Amino acid sequence: MANLLWIQAACCGGETASLLNSDHPHLQAALSSLGMTFLGHSYFHDHALGSPERVMEQCVAGRIPVELLVVEGAAYLRGRQPESRVPGVPLIELIQALARAVDSTVAVGTCASFGGIMACGRNPMGASGLQFCRDQAGGFLGADYRSRSGLPVVNVSGCPAHADWIVGTLWALHSGRVHEEDLDPYNRPRAFYGKLAHHACPRNEYYEFKASAAAYSQQGCLFENLGCKGTLCESDCNERLWLARTGSCTRGGFPCLSCTSPLFPDGFVPFFETAKIGGIPTSLPLDVPKAWYVGISGLSKLACPERLRHNAVSFKQSWTGRKEPSGDAGKDNRV
Amino acid sequence: MPVKTIEFSPFTRLEGDLRVTVEIEDGHVTRSFASGTLFRGFESMLKGRDPLDALVITCRVCGQCGLTHSAASASAMRALTGASMPPNAFRASNVMLAIEAIISHLTHFYLSLAPELSEIPGDSEARQRFRPPAGRSFARALREREELLGVLGLFAGKWPNSLAIQPGGTTRPVDASEIRRSHGLLGEYVSFVEQQVIGCRLEEWLAVRSAADLEAWMEVDSHRMSDVGVFVRLSRAHGLDGIGTWQARFISSGGWPDCEGGALTAPGFYDGNPAELDQAQISEQTAWSWYEQKEAGLHPFDGETIPAPERAEAYSWAKAPRYAGQPAEAGPLARLVIDGDRLVADLMLKHGPSAFVREMARLHETMRLLKRLGAWLDEVEPGEPFFTASPRPMQGSGMGLVEAPRGILGHWIRVADGKIQNYQIITPTGWNLSPRDSGNRSGPLEEALVGAPIPDAERPVALSYIVKSFDPCLYCTVH
Repeated sequence: MANLLWIQAACCGGETASLLNSDHPHLQAALSSLGMTFLGHSYFHDHALGSPERVMEQCVAGRIPVELLVVEGAAYLRGRQPESRVPGVPLIELIQALARAVDSTVAVGTCASFGGIMACGRNPMGASGLQFCRDQAGGFLGADYRSRSGLPVVNVSGCPAHADWIVGTLWALHSGRVHEEDLDPYNRPRAFYGKLAHHACPRNEYYEFKASAAAYSQQGCLFENLGCKGTLCESDCNERLWLARTGSCTRGGFPCLSCTSPLFPDGFVPFFETAKIGGIPTSLPLDVPKAWYVGISGLSKLACPERLRHNAVSFKQSWTGRKEPSGDAGKDNRV
Repeated sequence: MPVKTIEFSPFTRLEGDLRVTVEIEDGHVTRSFASGTLFRGFESMLKGRDPLDALVITCRVCGQCGLTHSAASASAMRALTGASMPPNAFRASNVMLAIEAIISHLTHFYLSLAPELSEIPGDSEARQRFRPPAGRSFARALREREELLGVLGLFAGKWPNSLAIQPGGTTRPVDASEIRRSHGLLGEYVSFVEQQVIGCRLEEWLAVRSAADLEAWMEVDSHRMSDVGVFVRLSRAHGLDGIGTWQARFISSGGWPDCEGGALTAPGFYDGNPAELDQAQISEQTAWSWYEQKEAGLHPFDGETIPAPERAEAYSWAKAPRYAGQPAEAGPLARLVIDGDRLVADLMLKHGPSAFVREMARLHETMRLLKRLGAWLDEVEPGEPFFTASPRPMQGSGMGLVEAPRGILGHWIRVADGKIQNYQIITPTGWNLSPRDSGNRSGPLEEALVGAPIPDAERPVALSYIVKSFDPCLYCTVH
C-alpha cells in the first residue's frame, strides 16, 4: 500500500478534529477507501512500521517511500523554528526535504495553505503557509515548487477544512485525478472551492430582498449588518453542510468569515459588522459591480414583502404572512 | 546507584508535542521535567485589536475545545461591559459545552489511552477492542460520534470554530422540533454508551457511589465485559491505581453554570480542605519558561508573554500558573473532588489521585454529563429569546472563568479606547503541565511522575499512563 505521511506543524489540531468528524462515510470507511497507509499522524500512525519518529527519519532518508505528504499547520520563516519529530531537524527543513521526494504535497487548513490565524496581525512568529504567505505565492517551499507529479502544493484551506474536502482531495490525488486545471489560482481544488458559501444558504430569500437581521438569533440575512462574508467565501459549506450534515456558519446564526480565503482572518475585519460607505457595504458580493449592486438592492428593498420584513428581525418561528383559510391549518409551518 | 536520564519527545497519541525528561535511579523516577516545545504567539496577536476579534482568534487556540475558549472570551467581555445573557443562552451554551466535553473525554479514551492498553503484551481482549484502526470498540466509538455531532450542529452550526457563543447569548434559536430531534440523537448515542462503554443503563452506573459499589458492579458479566469494565480490570492488573499520585491541590471555577447562579459542579479550591476559589490568588511565573522573567508571579490582568528563547535555564514554552503560590491540578478529577462526588471521593480515599482515579473521574463525568444533557434540552424554551444585544467593550477589564473539558480555563482582557491592551489565557493543561516556579517547585505532572516504576527504560509504560491520565493538550498550553 502507498504511504501517506501527515505532519503536524504549528497548529491547533483543528484539521485533525475536523477529520474525526467525517460522516457519510464515517472516518474509518473514508480512510480505508483511500487505500493508503497513514504515517506520522498523532492518532492514525500505523505503529507496525515503528514509532512515528523512526518512520519519519526513514522517510527523509528515502528508505520508506512517501506518495502523499500532508501538512497541518504553519511553519515559521524567521525566528526559532518549531522542533520536528526527527531530532535535530528543524520543522521547515524536514518539510522541505520530504517535499522534494513525494508525488504530491497537500496543505490541509488555512494555516498550512496561507498562514491563516498563525500569520495574523503583526505575525509575531513570521508564520507562513507552504507555498503562499497570505495571497502572495512563495511560502517556504517557493513559488516554483512542484512535487514529482508536477503539481504545486494542493491547498485544502478552511479553518478548519471540511473532512470531505480533506479526504476527497487525498483520494483524487492518490487516484491520479488531479491536473493543474483542476486547481484554482490559489491551488485549491475547484471541486470544493468553485462555489460560494452563500449558495444554498437558507437566508437567501432574505438576501434577495435585502431583509436583514439587526442582531444575532434573528432570521434575516447577515450580510448587510452583521458582517457575513458568505458572498465572498469560496466553499460549498451550505450545500455540503457540517456536523452530520446539520449545520453551517450561517445556519448556526453567525456570519461566514471567509475562512477558506488566503486573506483570512485579517482581510475580513470587522468580523461581526459590515463596513459601509454611504450605506453601501465596502466589500460587495464576488464579481458584482457596485452600480448594479446599488440599483438592484435599492429596488429589491422596495419590493420586499411584509413577510420577510417581519421575519428578518424576529427569532421566533416564521410568520407565513398568509391569511389563514380556516381552523388551525397553516398556523405553524415549521414543526 | 547511577542516575539514568531519559527523554521522551514527542509523545504520540496526544494533542500537540510534549517532551518529558526523567531521571531514573534504582528503577524509579526521581526527577522529571515537562516541556511544551511550540510557541505560537496568540496573546501578542491580540494586542491592539478590536475586543470582539478575540472571539474569532481565541476559539482557534485549540481544535478540540474552541467553544469553551469562546465562552471564556464572551464571559470576560460580559464582565467588562456588565452585559447579561438570557436564560435560554445558558441552557444552549451548556448543551454545546457538555457535548464538547463528552467528545473530548471519549476521544481521549479511545484515541489516546485505550490504544496504549491495546499494546499490553498477551492481552488479546484489549487488542481486539482497542487497537486502531480495526479494534471493534475503537471503530464503533468513531462511528457513533456522529449522533452527538448532529445535536451540536443544531446549536452551534459548525465545529471546530463555531461562533455561536457571543457575549449577548447564543446565535441560533432552537425550536421545538429541533429539541425533539436532539433528544432522538442523544438517545441513540446514550444507547451506544450503555451497550459498549458501560454495559448497563446510565442510571445504574450513576448509582455506583463508592469503591465497594464499583467492586459489586464489576461482578456482573455485562459490566466487566464493557470497555470501562476492561479498563478497570487492566488498571488493577497493571498498577494504574498505584502510580501518578502527588500532594494534590485541586482548582475549579465550577462547571456548566445555570441562569440562577448555580452550576452543575461547584467552584472551589481543595488541598485536603475545601475552600472558596479566590481568583486574585492566581498568578503566573516564568522562572523556567522561555519568557522574560519577573521577580514575582504576575496576576493575569498584568501578565506578560514576551518570548526569550535565549534563556538557557528555561525548558518550556508553558508558564507556571500558581494558586496562592502553589501548583494546582485541573480537570474532571479536580471538578468532581471539589463538587463532592461520592464515587470519586471514595476512590480518592482508596487509591489517591492516581492515574486510575484521574481516568475514572473523566469517564464518570462523561456519564453525569450525558444524563444532564437531556434535562438541559428540556429546559430550553422555544419562543423565548436566546440573545440580547450588548454594548461594545470600550474601556475596562474583565475576566472569564469557564470549565473546559480538561479543567479550569481563564481569559483576562484589558481594553482601552476600544482596543485590546492586554489579553492573557491560562489553560487547564497550563496548570497541569506547568514547569518549575521561582521556588523550584515542580508542576502537577512533574510531581506525579516522581516515584513511577521504570523497570525497562526502553518501554516506560508507567510514564505514558501517568502523562495520559492528565489528558494533556499541548496546543492550549503553549501560548
